[in-house]
Amino acid sequence: MSIFDDRAAEVLQSLPYLLQGLGVTISVTLLALLLGGLIGLMGALARVYGAAPLRAAAAAYSRTIRSLPLLVILFFLYFLGSDIYEMSVFTSMVLALGIHTSAYQEGIFRAGIQSIERGQSEAAAAIGMTPFQNFFTIVLPQALRRCIPYWGNEAAIVLKDSSLAYVLGLTELMRRGQYVISRTHQAFLTYLIIGLIYLILTLVLTRGLSYMEKRVKIPG
Amino acid sequence: MTKSIVSIRNLHKSYGKVPVLNDFSLDVYPNEVVVVIGPSGTGKSTLLRCINYLTPFDSGEIHLDGQKIDPRKTNLNHVRQQIGMVFQDFNLFNHMSAFHNVAVGLVKVKRVNRGEARSRALDELERVGMLQYKDQYPAELSGGQKQRVAIARALAMNPKIMLFDEPTSALDPELIEEVLAVMKSLAAAGMTMVVVSHEMSFAREAADRIVFMDQGAIAEMGSPSELFANPHKERTRQFLSKLGYRENERKDESDG
Ligand SMILES: Nc1ncnc2c1ncn2[C@@H]1O[C@H](COP(=O)(O)OP(=O)(O)OP(=O)(O)O)[C@@H](O)[C@H]1O
Ligand SMILES: [Mg+2]
Repeated sequence: MSIFDDRAAEVLQSLPYLLQGLGVTISVTLLALLLGGLIGLMGALARVYGAAPLRAAAAAYSRTIRSLPLLVILFFLYFLGSDIYEMSVFTSMVLALGIHTSAYQEGIFRAGIQSIERGQSEAAAAIGMTPFQNFFTIVLPQALRRCIPYWGNEAAIVLKDSSLAYVLGLTELMRRGQYVISRTHQAFLTYLIIGLIYLILTLVLTRGLSYMEKRVKIPG
Repeated sequence: MTKSIVSIRNLHKSYGKVPVLNDFSLDVYPNEVVVVIGPSGTGKSTLLRCINYLTPFDSGEIHLDGQKIDPRKTNLNHVRQQIGMVFQDFNLFNHMSAFHNVAVGLVKVKRVNRGEARSRALDELERVGMLQYKDQYPAELSGGQKQRVAIARALAMNPKIMLFDEPTSALDPELIEEVLAVMKSLAAAGMTMVVVSHEMSFAREAADRIVFMDQGAIAEMGSPSELFANPHKERTRQFLSKLGYRENERKDESDG
């Protein structure tokens, strides 16, 4: 069996079938990033501005999540979820990946927020801004700009981690790849193609973000 | 006797066990310019920051325009709108153009409509001579220009009093004058001001009263001519002579 036997053509013909998994991969990634972003931002707020107990709770959350393998979180949620009600594999994966990335995004957002000089917040307070206005008009817009490159790294990791959903049978890219392999026995070529697809996705993501970074760069 | 704009009564503030403000009292009257001088660490910045409640204090009262401020009942954000503050390091909003730095308070805090906010912001920029730089970002401005924008930002809120905390001490010597000129024109226009500054030219020209602060309290107070010509206390005399040296040193530098 070589890479170029007649079944190789069959692999290439399966490309549309593979690409159908792209939708699932991308939705899992985006939803997980969004969920993780929301939890992460709240965690960062709690750790920067919260009272001592809240700070401690948020720190404990991050530390715990970071010390758990994604697979453990995924299985835990999936089996817990299917005990309580019929939670789909898709939902389990989004939740698991979202929670997993939230701990890392928390760190990114926290560093971004803390990097904004305190004087700017004091000046905002001095013209009568509420803490809420202060955060959303002064601190967050600058913090997010500084977060973009680090957030981009995390987004690329989440994209690749979404492939883990294949263990529960979610028909995303990886799972579809395995079906193609079982039909064609062309593991090498199939994984090569899947690798290329992930490469392209990652490139699009990181290029897109660095374009955005340039677009919102503060002049001077 | 006229009513004071700001009345500071028996302020006490300590950091841990270290007292910083020690029963400090001062009344500032309409159109008055009070210049506060004193050695480093004596509580000048703390004093200004207590007036607008950026720093909480242990006891004492602040009255603004005859009203006692009670932080539990009074909306402090509303109080702060009426008290302009200018910082040593400008503290401009770095992601906003000079124009937006000035307009943002009008839009977000005062909820003025965009058209009016725009024209008022442009007026304030013009007042500090920064109209032509309205689209520049802070990183594109010199220190003196940044400080002028910071002054315009505070003025845009239409405050009853302006507080300045060493507004020129982070500036290169050649940029100090442009900021002092703006402050002098404000004083001449009748703005009530409390200025922590060791710029003697400003104190001589614009101050109605000089407060010499030492160890968290007023050591000596008087008109510039009284206090500079004839200080009563030895501490004041020593401090003023040190300032004199500093002024001479700078003259020497610019001569040489
Ligand atoms: N946040 C803080 N925590 C602890 N101590 C502080 C804090 N801020 C100020 N201090 C102390 O309070 C004292 C007064 O400080 P303050 O900044 O008011 O002095 P200052 O007169 O403005 O001095 P300078 O001329 O150096 O600006 C100093 O001893 C300072 O170390
Ligand atoms: Mg100071």
